[in-house]
Amino acid sequence: MSVLGVLCAAAAKGWGWGTPLLGFAAVGTVAATRPKEPEPVPIDTLLTPILDRAYGFALRLSRNRADAEDLVQEAALLAVRGYHTFQPGTNFKAWFFRILTNCYYSRYRRNRHESSLVDIDSTPELFLYVRTAELGMHAQPGDNPAHDLIDRLDSEQVAAALETLPEEYRVVSTLYFIDDLAYEDIAQALQIPVGTVRSRLHRGRKILQRSLWRIALERGIVQEGRGPA
Amino acid sequence: MTSVDRYTCEEVFRRLNDFLDRELTPAETTLVEEHLKTCAQCASEHAFEQTVLEEIKEKLRRISAPPSLLSKVRTILDAENGAS
Repeated sequence: MSVLGVLCAAAAKGWGWGTPLLGFAAVGTVAATRPKEPEPVPIDTLLTPILDRAYGFALRLSRNRADAEDLVQEAALLAVRGYHTFQPGTNFKAWFFRILTNCYYSRYRRNRHESSLVDIDSTPELFLYVRTAELGMHAQPGDNPAHDLIDRLDSEQVAAALETLPEEYRVVSTLYFIDDLAYEDIAQALQIPVGTVRSRLHRGRKILQRSLWRIALERGIVQEGRGPA
Repeated sequence: MTSVDRYTCEEVFRRLNDFLDRELTPAETTLVEEHLKTCAQCASEHAFEQTVLEEIKEKLRRISAPPSLLSKVRTILDAENGAS
C-alpha cells in the first residue's frame, strides 16, 4: 500500500486499536501542573538519531528489508504531519514507535492472533541455563556458558530466533531488546497495561531461549550430550 | 514464615526478570542484591540471564538503517519543512 493509501486507510478507519493516529495524545508522563511548556524542537533532531533503531525494529517485525523501509518511511511521514500532537518534553521515541507499531499492525492486522497456536507455558524457566548445565558448560569456576553460547550465534541467527515469537510477544520483545524502552514506555507505545508488557516480555524470553537453543543445535553450535561443537 | 528483610531463593527467582530490567523498587532491589551476595546458585542464574540479555541486545542492535531509507526520510523532512 502506498503512503497515501495508508493515510487514507488511517483516516477512514481510525488507527491501530481504534485510536486515530494523528489525534492521539502525546506519549509520556504529563505533569498535573506545568508552569512552563518545554520549547519545541525540530522533529529532525529527534527523529534522525533513532532511525537505525526504528529500522531494526521494523525489520524484526516485518521480517523483510523492503517492508521495513516502507514502514519506517510511512511512520516518518505520519510523524512529521502529526508532530503538532507531540508534547515537547515527553518521550519522542516511545511516541514514534507507537506510530511505527500502528503502521505495522495496519498492514499485518490479520496475523495478530497467531499466539493462540503456541503453547507458551510449555517452556521451562531458565531454559538455556539448564540446557548448558546439562552439557557440563558450567563445570569450571571461570566458565561463562551464556557468553560461550550466544557469542557463537551471529546477529542473523539471534534475529531469526526473535522472529519465531508469536506476534504480540515479538512486538514487546523487539521494543525491549532493540530499543531499550522501559516497561512503562513500551506500555505507552503499545497502549497496553504495564502488567501485560511484563508478562509478554517474560514469556517471550522463555520462547526466545528455546528458539536460540534450537538454532544452536541446528547449526551445530552445540551438540546434545557433547557441549559446544 | 518469611522475613521481611531477607528474600528466599524462591522470592528472588520470582523477581529475577524485573531485577534484570531495573523495574523493582529500590527496597526490593536491595533485598535481591543482598541475597545474590550470599547465594551462589541464585548469583549464577542471575549472571547467566544477565549475560544472555546483554548479548542478545548487543547482536540485535548492530543493524543500521540503509542509506536509501535515510535519504527518503530526509526528503520527507525537507518537503514538510518547505511546506510549513
